[in-house]
Amino acid sequence: MVTKVKSKIIKKNRLTELLDKLAKEYDLIGPVQDNVISFKQVKSGSEITLDFVNSVLSPKNAFFPQTETLFRFSGDGEGFKAEPEPETDKERVIFGIRACDARSLHLMDMVFGGQLEDSYYMRKRAKTILIGLACFNPAETCFCPTFGIDPTSPEGVDIVFTDVDDRYWVQALTEKGASLLDQLAEFFDEPLGDEAKLKDAKAAGLTKMKKLDVAGLPDKMEPLYNDAYWESIGMKCLGCGICTYLCPTCHCFDLVDEGRDEGGERFRSWDSCMFPDFTLMASGENPRPDQKARVQQRFFHKLKYFPDRYGEVACTGCGRCLKYCPVNINITKIIGDVMSGKTKNE
Amino acid sequence: MSENIYLPRMATIKSMRPETIDVTTFQIALNGTNGESRFDYESGQFAEVSVLGVGEAPISITSSPTPPETLEFSIRRVGQLTNALHELNVGDKIGIRGPFGNSFPLKELEGQNMLIIGGGIGLAPMRSVILNLFDNRKKYGKIDIIYGARSPQDLVFKSEYEEWQNVENTGLYLTVDRGDEEWKGNVGLVPNFLKEINPSPENTTGITCGPPIMIKFVVQALAELGFTSEHVITTMERKMKCGVGKCGRCNIGGKYVCLDGPVFTLKQLEEMPSD
Repeated sequence: MVTKVKSKIIKKNRLTELLDKLAKEYDLIGPVQDNVISFKQVKSGSEITLDFVNSVLSPKNAFFPQTETLFRFSGDGEGFKAEPEPETDKERVIFGIRACDARSLHLMDMVFGGQLEDSYYMRKRAKTILIGLACFNPAETCFCPTFGIDPTSPEGVDIVFTDVDDRYWVQALTEKGASLLDQLAEFFDEPLGDEAKLKDAKAAGLTKMKKLDVAGLPDKMEPLYNDAYWESIGMKCLGCGICTYLCPTCHCFDLVDEGRDEGGERFRSWDSCMFPDFTLMASGENPRPDQKARVQQRFFHKLKYFPDRYGEVACTGCGRCLKYCPVNINITKIIGDVMSGKTKNE
Repeated sequence: MSENIYLPRMATIKSMRPETIDVTTFQIALNGTNGESRFDYESGQFAEVSVLGVGEAPISITSSPTPPETLEFSIRRVGQLTNALHELNVGDKIGIRGPFGNSFPLKELEGQNMLIIGGGIGLAPMRSVILNLFDNRKKYGKIDIIYGARSPQDLVFKSEYEEWQNVENTGLYLTVDRGDEEWKGNVGLVPNFLKEINPSPENTTGITCGPPIMIKFVVQALAELGFTSEHVITTMERKMKCGVGKCGRCNIGGKYVCLDGPVFTLKQLEEMPSD
């Protein structure tokens, strides 16, 4: 943390130019409108769109790719070399990350960091500068204030861009962020002084945002283990896995080998607790044999096990899972039911 | 940057000892850069064993850590990876990551009588305990080993029974679900056999591993015999990938079997949700 926040502004009509410069000097990743809005590496600033509420896919993929080669091996046994994929050492900049997704990186850091550190994830984290984008236009499905997140003030990022009037208010929250601003000084001007006021005025409308009561939530989950409540949700669930696919905090993965005699690779890919074979053993035993058990696992993991292990609920209120679930399984309703004891009426 | 937790170390198969028609004991030596042939481990820990190109699976360590060089895995041929392992030959290379997980608290159990109850391939991690106890024989009281399998042909480590029985103050009780013409021993399920043997719970800890259904009834039988849940220890099996608490599938309630287990007391299991 810098003791004094470095604060600048940039005129909106100079943003593309700034992003072009970033794309030249860094691997620049930002929100791109394809079929859906997702974070992708771009070659120029004009590829980036800022016309979005939130991306359909979070930038999780930039740190924990959907598939990632862990190492390659040669086939003759003797000459086995487990060589991790070389990564470019080029620094990366992610532009436009929302407060909810920034929080999810903080949560995933606890999983992939720690004593048994996952070097693939941590290396990508270390070489990435995060530029957050304040959010003033949340979707109906958003409920990030539940977890103490202020969508207009992303935390855990290096720089925050806030859209005020004809300019972006640019604040560096870390040394890394401050030195990037110095490096790009040509694009920035001194603040006019009314930025904080303009921001507050825009943020005033957000007080209506959904904020659930989650006080003591993990403890309230505990007695619901094996409750019939999960049966009714399990009955609805199609097991499609879209919730885990879109969730910015879901981190489960599979390890798979490809190729053998001619050499090959071991890669990892996202996996999902919604799938039957996630826990199916070679013996035929499956400790989570039905969708009830799998749905229960998903919500217990988010709301009970993760907080027990790491001290925080594994949800950021991004709303993706409830927005895209084909059968309207809604984590905000589930949290509400748990908190109010309505699970017994299901 | 720290070492790569997913990168296996290469090891050579030194010997393959058939135990039954579908179980083989593999003796492994690491091709250690400093000349080491194995890593340090404790009884109850497991390792991720790789056949490159096929995959990786968590396998409990069968040997005792007491001899300085030995590293053995007794592996039943049951899935893709174990099938591929059984197709290998002495001298072939495999990958090893580990050791992972916690271990049996053998140090804390010194001075007690030990009751080992195994079923089928569940004797594999128990053998690490048995040989470890034998190598520290003076530190423990009576050692009773109750072991059962489906048929006489399915009993593992048969070549070692005579030696085990000759260790002082040690009892070996064998049973099979179905006998044959040559079988002179007990016929019946392990939990029932356990009740017939009727071991005293006094100053005794029971350690059990076997198929889940056997463990369930062994635990009930031990309770009937007066064993308290602090004095019953088991080791759990779950599907695992990473072995280090990242991949998210081996949890029982909030406990990761790979990190917090695989060894749990019955008391710990009772406090956990039952999935």
